[in-house]
Amino acid sequence: MSTVVFDSAALPELQQQKIQRPWRRKPAKLGWSIAIASIVPLVIVSAMFWSTNIPGAVLMTVVYLPLQLVASGVAAWATKGTRGILDSVIIVNAIGATLFAMMVLVSVLGSLFVRGWAALSAHFIYQNNVYISPSTPLDYGGIGHAILGTFLIVFIASLIAVPIGIATAIYITEVRGRAVPYVRFFVQAMSGVPSVVAGLFILTIVVATDAFSQSALAGGLAYAILMLPTVARTAEEVLKLVPEDLRTGALALGSTRSRTVLRVVIPAAKTGIVTAVILGIARVIGETAPLLLAAGNSDQTVLNPVGGPIAAIPTYIFNNVALPYPDAVARAWGSALVLIILVAVLFTLARIFGRGRIGK
Amino acid sequence: MSTAEFNTLTSLEGELMSQRETAEIEMAARDISVWFGKRKVLEGVNIDFPKRSVTALIGPSGCGKSTFIRTLNRLHELIPGAALAGQVLYEGSDIYSRDVDPVQIRLKVGMVFQKPNPFPSMTIRGNVLSGLKLSGMKRDNHDDIVEKTLRSAGLWNEVKDRLNAAAGDLSGGQQQRLVIARALAVQPHVLLMDEPCSALDPASTLKIEETIRELSKEMTIIIVTHNMQQAVRVSDSTAFFLAAENEPGHVVEQGATTEIFGNPQDQRTLDYVNGRFG
Repeated sequence: MSTVVFDSAALPELQQQKIQRPWRRKPAKLGWSIAIASIVPLVIVSAMFWSTNIPGAVLMTVVYLPLQLVASGVAAWATKGTRGILDSVIIVNAIGATLFAMMVLVSVLGSLFVRGWAALSAHFIYQNNVYISPSTPLDYGGIGHAILGTFLIVFIASLIAVPIGIATAIYITEVRGRAVPYVRFFVQAMSGVPSVVAGLFILTIVVATDAFSQSALAGGLAYAILMLPTVARTAEEVLKLVPEDLRTGALALGSTRSRTVLRVVIPAAKTGIVTAVILGIARVIGETAPLLLAAGNSDQTVLNPVGGPIAAIPTYIFNNVALPYPDAVARAWGSALVLIILVAVLFTLARIFGRGRIGK
Repeated sequence: MSTAEFNTLTSLEGELMSQRETAEIEMAARDISVWFGKRKVLEGVNIDFPKRSVTALIGPSGCGKSTFIRTLNRLHELIPGAALAGQVLYEGSDIYSRDVDPVQIRLKVGMVFQKPNPFPSMTIRGNVLSGLKLSGMKRDNHDDIVEKTLRSAGLWNEVKDRLNAAAGDLSGGQQQRLVIARALAVQPHVLLMDEPCSALDPASTLKIEETIRELSKEMTIIIVTHNMQQAVRVSDSTAFFLAAENEPGHVVEQGATTEIFGNPQDQRTLDYVNGRFG
């Protein structure tokens, strides 16, 4: 009779083995060559920067990047031979491009915080601009009226653009009627409409015809034109992701087309549709030109959609940033910061809301 | 006997007769041919589906079994470019005649698909009841329906404590039994199953086969399967589909399952059921 005898003597040895990742072992020379390849170009460029008058940006692009490429190539050649050179060139380019994009983003956010922070305070958020002149110190006044105006205008635009946008997406993906190619073409064409043209359009057909004056409603209409294609196209993409199985499954249960769309397809794509709405809002919330033409400006808090000209954050920034008063400029930067924070909050909320799961 | 009495009697007799007739054949395909665009994929299919029986449709991939089964509940027409000739009779009348609402047919002829497709936005309970909501059917005591259908589908014991959990959290086999329960909740008379076990493990397959045997006491079942043993285990009669290269599929042989597998008349059937091709 043969039994498998477990060799207990081998056990301690097994237990003594340490966690290893052999695939991460680097050639001995690699550490040194990477260190030299990263330090040498930096030293050369720093020396040029301090000793000459060449601007930093020019040095970075014209001297540093090519130098870094060559240095990495040499380092790769030293450790891995010729086939390492192309690798290193691509990796350095990828890292460089990523860092560049990050730098632009950080720089934008950084300058907003640095210049906008001074204007921020509690009253900056809730007070309005009445009795405030451009030279009034930052201790008084705020953009409460513009924040509410932005909210009101975006809300009106969403009321119009979201239902139409989702209906368009449903027509394209669910109804699949004969006009689909034309509808899709028009939506695509609409997404190319410059925002100032949307503003001009509303100005001429609504304001100039005295249908009603510059107001939140007119601004909302202009925004809706810009929002619609974004909502429609994003919603179309997410509805397309809903598996065909679910549609046939519902139809096989004796469902009508409309019930299939309303109770199965849209709930299945809920997260994506929320994203579509958020992207639509993000598309318009900073648009200035349509509001300059269609919504006008005001120093007061206006809550009536047709109650005459109304302020919004972008128009407030536009009106203040070019004034020759430091405090007005500071207010403009502060409002820009508030706008960015609003968008960030909106995206975060959408993420949290979109994560919602069914069941317990 | 007065004339009135006589008339009542004859009409009663007629009703009885017609009931006996329909009791034998619930559904029938009459000379069904199918095209996708200009390509003919199925030719001259004639099959009777007796009431409360299980019919297996077997044959190699691409011979039109799934296409055929989808003509039986009018899902076929949803495919762009689809065309069809012949008749599908349900209780004696053509389901493709002009005044028939496909929704009504799909309520009588339920379907379970190859891939489990529970609605991800609904709970387990919601999925079972979804057929009622989607078809606008009014039925009371939803709790009873949920329990009864989940029991019939052999899933009740596994999910009774978490009926409000997301349907997507179930395993593949459980999801497939859930969609069977969902199909049963609208009380169909015929259940179409398109390779219901092809994505499942042997244990789940066995459970679903038990379910099929159990259900066949109350309804007519038509099942497409690639699994010969499964066809033998669950079906009363079998139809063997085959398509020669670049030619539409057709039924080579049909009859009692024991005959098709034990004593096939056609050489191709013999080869196929013995696993020599396909």
